[in-house]
Amino acid sequence: MTARLTARPPAPRARGFLRDNALGLFFLVTFVLAIAGQAIAGHADFNNQLAADQLQQISLGEYLTTSDFAVDVTENWQSEYLQFFLYVGATIWLLQRGSPESKELHKAGTESDREQLVGAHANADSPKWVRAGGWRRAVYSHSLLLVMGTIFLLSWLVQSISGTAAYDEQRLRQLQAPLSWAGYLGAADFWNRTLQNWQSELLAVASMAVLSIYLRQRGSPESKPVGAAHGSTGVEG
Amino acid sequence: MIRSAYAVTVSVLLAVGTLGGCDTAAQRRDDVRHTAAVFEKALAEGAYDRVCAVLAPATLDELEQSSGSPCPKAVGEESLKPGGGVQRTDVYGDQARTVLSSDTLFLSHFTSGWKVVAAGCEPRPEVPYECVIKGG
Repeated sequence: MTARLTARPPAPRARGFLRDNALGLFFLVTFVLAIAGQAIAGHADFNNQLAADQLQQISLGEYLTTSDFAVDVTENWQSEYLQFFLYVGATIWLLQRGSPESKELHKAGTESDREQLVGAHANADSPKWVRAGGWRRAVYSHSLLLVMGTIFLLSWLVQSISGTAAYDEQRLRQLQAPLSWAGYLGAADFWNRTLQNWQSELLAVASMAVLSIYLRQRGSPESKPVGAAHGSTGVEG
Repeated sequence: MIRSAYAVTVSVLLAVGTLGGCDTAAQRRDDVRHTAAVFEKALAEGAYDRVCAVLAPATLDELEQSSGSPCPKAVGEESLKPGGGVQRTDVYGDQARTVLSSDTLFLSHFTSGWKVVAAGCEPRPEVPYECVIKGG
């Protein structure tokens, strides 16, 4: 018994870090794997198109610097950040009875200083900008929405620029005149890429908000407790 | 410390990427214009072997197969005329278009440099250019 106790090493700091940050690390690692897979598949697809046109194929390294890869990446990024921007913003005011994704039905709006722990209700361990007050508190109070919205707009801008270059490269292969950036903003390709991503994100959010009223996942904070009533709102497991 | 190191790294990468990108784009545009100039000069001088030397492989193959003659002879039989000075050049990735005073060339980048994919091209509304010579 004593031997077993002394043989057990103290929990290493690295393991504690991994456990404390497992959620973020899991999605970061799977993101890297997924984008690597996208690069490999996208490279093969791009070279297939060049081969069909009897043109010079390119290496994977060259493909990573192409507008074709950039537009494929950013068209998905912008829609994901738009999704979270809308979700963070809409759930301030819009409610969904029975959904753990919604606040309780009497809490619509930006809520009181007491509920939000700001002003006289800030704690000693509240973030520094909250305790500072003034413009810092005002900015910090909306920082999540501001950052999500900014990343969305920047990603969408990069999608439009890289999309122009990718579309024009394709048009030149087909012996057609290239379009300007402004011309591409009105092109079917730009809006098809944009809206096909938006519709899937919006459907996923609507599904989550509504299905979580009736369905449960034991242990997940995204679900109500398994035994919670369908009508209970703003309760997370 | 970590934050400032990250900011410096990002700034350097952005600067290198931006400047490198601009430099590369300008260089590529110059290379496209050079190939177009070589093609036009050879055409004007009737040096059809030099014209063939800057044609893309698929364009050269198509030209020889459709005419049943070697490339220089086939070029001489086509109604290609010198297109004049360069009006504008568009380069996107490995594809390019050079608009001349009275002609338009389409080019593509190969290991051996930029090559002419199509020449003697006339624009048509909403559809691809109609070209005297082009790849299959």
